[in-house]
Amino acid sequence: MDKTIQVIINDIKETVTENTTISQLIIRYKEGDADLIVEHNGRFVYPRKYEEIILSHDDRIEFINPNFGG
Amino acid sequence: MGESRQTRSNTIVFCESHFMEIDQLSSQEVIRYKRQIVIPAFGEKGQKQLKRANVFIAGLGGLGAVSAYYLAAAGVGRLKIVDKDHVELENLNRQILYSTRDVGRPKTESAFEKLHALNPLCRIDAQKAEIRKDNALELIGDCHIIVDATDNLETRKCLNSVSVARQIPFIYGGIDGFTGMVTTFVPGDTPCLECLFPETSAATKKVGAMGPVPGMIGAIQSLEAIKICLGMKDLLKNTLLCINGMDMGVKKLNLRKDPECHLCGIQDQCGKY
Ligand SMILES: [Zn+2]
Repeated sequence: MDKTIQVIINDIKETVTENTTISQLIIRYKEGDADLIVEHNGRFVYPRKYEEIILSHDDRIEFINPNFGG
Repeated sequence: MGESRQTRSNTIVFCESHFMEIDQLSSQEVIRYKRQIVIPAFGEKGQKQLKRANVFIAGLGGLGAVSAYYLAAAGVGRLKIVDKDHVELENLNRQILYSTRDVGRPKTESAFEKLHALNPLCRIDAQKAEIRKDNALELIGDCHIIVDATDNLETRKCLNSVSVARQIPFIYGGIDGFTGMVTTFVPGDTPCLECLFPETSAATKKVGAMGPVPGMIGAIQSLEAIKICLGMKDLLKNTLLCINGMDMGVKKLNLRKDPECHLCGIQDQCGKY
């Protein structure tokens, strides 16, 4: 069985498998908005880095849907 | 007496023929702006700086109606307002420049009237046009600040390209239902819109909107524009302010420039700043 870690996503504790990337997390949580804004441990993540960043235990992730209405 | 004229490019311009020297404040102006001039960080100096300012407002919907109103009222010297739409009944729950009798009129025409009535000392250039890649540079012209009051990512990207190319501060605002967000992009100093949203797939969709939310965001955008005119340092730079009206949650997200951004990253590498 895969090892798991705990991370906090939008203030809610979640369990994910080790070596999960931000890209995989986006798919898992169905954050399908192509223009999603992601914050990782208080730092903004460039979209092109989503596949590179591997989550660690206790990491904090914020998914923010952009507002494009005017 | 002043005069209003329609130009060939469908622009309505009001020219106040007794317009004072740009570096002077008339006695009327001193009275009109008294309540802000008394603010120590503002003063007569700030009022004169506002008078010299030339601000572009892209879009006259929920956000643009509010920022245009506050910027005209504050005494910005020139406002260039651009929108392609006509006033619709469904706009009136939030777009405070328009009345029921304006339904069917071009927004630029109605906005021009209201803003001119509010402050005839502010020169209003109102142009009914769609902002596109091929005309954004020309529309923005010699404006010092771009206030984004559009309703889609594509148009915002057109504005952002001009902001980066011409190094003009770009105040992004957006709303969706109970939530809204705002940040000030300053080329060379902050990321640009493209650093945040490199994808271009977002389709334009009509989102839910009620007055107080674009009211808050548009007011913050106009405050940012005023602060830029006054040369104030503490702008919403590198910070995305997100407001959730549902629970009154406010979050400040730290933004960073993407060194590989195909727009501002390339500019940096070429040493254009
Ligand atoms: Zn950029």
